[in-house]
Amino acid sequence: MNPFPMVLADLRALRWTAPAIVLLVALAIATGVAIAAQERALRRGSAAAADDFDLIIGAPGSQTQLLMSTVYVQPDALPLVDGRLLNTLFKDERVAQVAPIAFGDVSRGYPIVGTTAAFAGRWDRIKPSEGRLFAAEGEAVLGADVLYRMSDTITPSHGVAGRVAAPGQTDAEEDSHKHEGHGYTVVGRLPRLGSPWDRAILVPIESVWEIHGLGNGHASEETKGDSPFWKQGPAAGSSPAGAEERIGLPFDGKRVPGVPAIVVKPKSVAGAYQLRAQYRQGGTMAFFPAEVLVSLYGALGNIRDILVVASALNTVLILASVLLLLLAVAGLRRRRYAVLRALGAPRSYVMLVVWLGQVTLMTLGCLLGLGLGALATQAVSGLVAQRTGLLLSPAIGLEELLPALGLALIGSLFALVPAALAYRQQVVAGLRG
Amino acid sequence: MPASPSPEQPSGRLTLEGLALDHRDADGKPFRLFELPLLTIEPGSCIGISGPSGCGKSSLLHLIAGLLRPSQGRVLWSDRAVSDLSESGRDRWRRETIGFVFQDFHLIPELDIAANVALPACFSAWNLSAAEKERAAALARRMGLPDPRRRAALLSRGEQQRVAIARALFTRPALILADEPTASLDTGHAAEVADLLLETAMESGATLICATHDPALLARFGQRLDLSHAPQRRAA
Repeated sequence: MNPFPMVLADLRALRWTAPAIVLLVALAIATGVAIAAQERALRRGSAAAADDFDLIIGAPGSQTQLLMSTVYVQPDALPLVDGRLLNTLFKDERVAQVAPIAFGDVSRGYPIVGTTAAFAGRWDRIKPSEGRLFAAEGEAVLGADVLYRMSDTITPSHGVAGRVAAPGQTDAEEDSHKHEGHGYTVVGRLPRLGSPWDRAILVPIESVWEIHGLGNGHASEETKGDSPFWKQGPAAGSSPAGAEERIGLPFDGKRVPGVPAIVVKPKSVAGAYQLRAQYRQGGTMAFFPAEVLVSLYGALGNIRDILVVASALNTVLILASVLLLLLAVAGLRRRRYAVLRALGAPRSYVMLVVWLGQVTLMTLGCLLGLGLGALATQAVSGLVAQRTGLLLSPAIGLEELLPALGLALIGSLFALVPAALAYRQQVVAGLRG
Repeated sequence: MPASPSPEQPSGRLTLEGLALDHRDADGKPFRLFELPLLTIEPGSCIGISGPSGCGKSSLLHLIAGLLRPSQGRVLWSDRAVSDLSESGRDRWRRETIGFVFQDFHLIPELDIAANVALPACFSAWNLSAAEKERAAALARRMGLPDPRRRAALLSRGEQQRVAIARALFTRPALILADEPTASLDTGHAAEVADLLLETAMESGATLICATHDPALLARFGQRLDLSHAPQRRAA
């Protein structure tokens, strides 16, 4: 037997109701899929962004704030730790790498982050996609998404804590805080990292210190007196390049200015825990980003649970109403099916027609829902990327497929009810209609 | 032009053996709707069943088709007791033996003429054979419907009943049951449909049993069965 001509006729008889049912089921599925996939992508993306930040040391305060500032480049006014700590850590044999992170200035809405060239290259993990890393004061390396060109001059403005300007735009607030007469020359661009660092401008930390009148932390500064880099220019120094012009660790000056955050890459796990314990006292705090992320994810997870329960209820309600609707439709078609029986259709044929019609609607709805869910996830990820620079790569995995398949299965089981009723229906009663 | 004279058509003798059918009235009291003596209907004959509304014309057709079971007696088809078969056995027998024409046509409006005519084929087979497709088109032409791709929903009432007759003939039934085939049609269409029904039944060699209260249609049957004189409304 071939029920499909009748199944198609039944679906066509529903007219616009059929696509409406498919769309209802699809929306229910899509909501659940999008919530689950998005939350997972956010977790992965935010964890991936924290990859190079093994241990963060800062002045006592909010760990979350420090994490947001260093890993996700959401600069905030943070207390500083003594810059000499950098040298101590540099010599510490448990430490593989150490770098300062200093922020505060902005240009066209992009945060300017002072660090070392070694960290800008994430300790040899990444190579500039264009140009080179900064090698002297007054040079800058751009994150992949920063809208400056090579050799441009960047004039920093003093940032205002808590103020978020749209990246790529200079606003009045920024204009009014320009560090007049100071500028960085763009010498390179980093490849895309998929993290908020893609919209940061990386400069030597010495320059950040100097612009704020703190010296540059090196001994050369003291010998040369107060002639900052922007007056000399990188190439203007007549003295031979060497110790004088060296940037980066260690900072051998008598005065090393403070920094808001220090990123440490320990050599071993044991060393990492020792360092963390050691710098949790004596005027500093130290933590693994994962610690903070776990508690953030905890909060995120609670919200997700609520959303998932809400969307599940939503799905059940839609499923129930769709099934009731289909039950009513099958009731209205008693006569149509009785005619089939009178023409010689076996009971199983009628049952199959009713069941397949409903299963088709449910399954189409579930498939469309997966598609819509994937689209919605991409759209939300795009929004997140636009607002934070965090690259999310959401994927529809088994966790999303299973509920959709489950729903299709449950729907198919429920569709047996009207199908069984059609199976048992008395032909003569149906013909009398 | 006989669309498909079917010499291989298996014909059968229909025997109604002391058939009686009980119903319940509005108060739930059972009453006997009709009671028939032994009736034998020879293959290829045409019988008109008459009687006022509610006398059981439709019920008699339903009994013969195996859609109802008699309260008494048996329906025999070539000495086989159809009324004693199981429900699925009767479904199968009906599919193989009977073509049904209803008062209200009951086409599937979403399907075209050809698909409506060939609908009974999907109850037992997955695909229509080329011969079956040709047969559906030929039957539609025989019924004066040259375009088999037209949707049933777009047809006039007379055209719909002609499609329904083609559908009833499609499986080459040995027995055609028609329940008030002209009652929903205006006079002109009714005559047309009556002509077609009788002609094609004759061409196919099938037995035709037609319940009607249309005197014009009834007059065309050589054999008539009047249910109004059957013993009725008698407490069972």
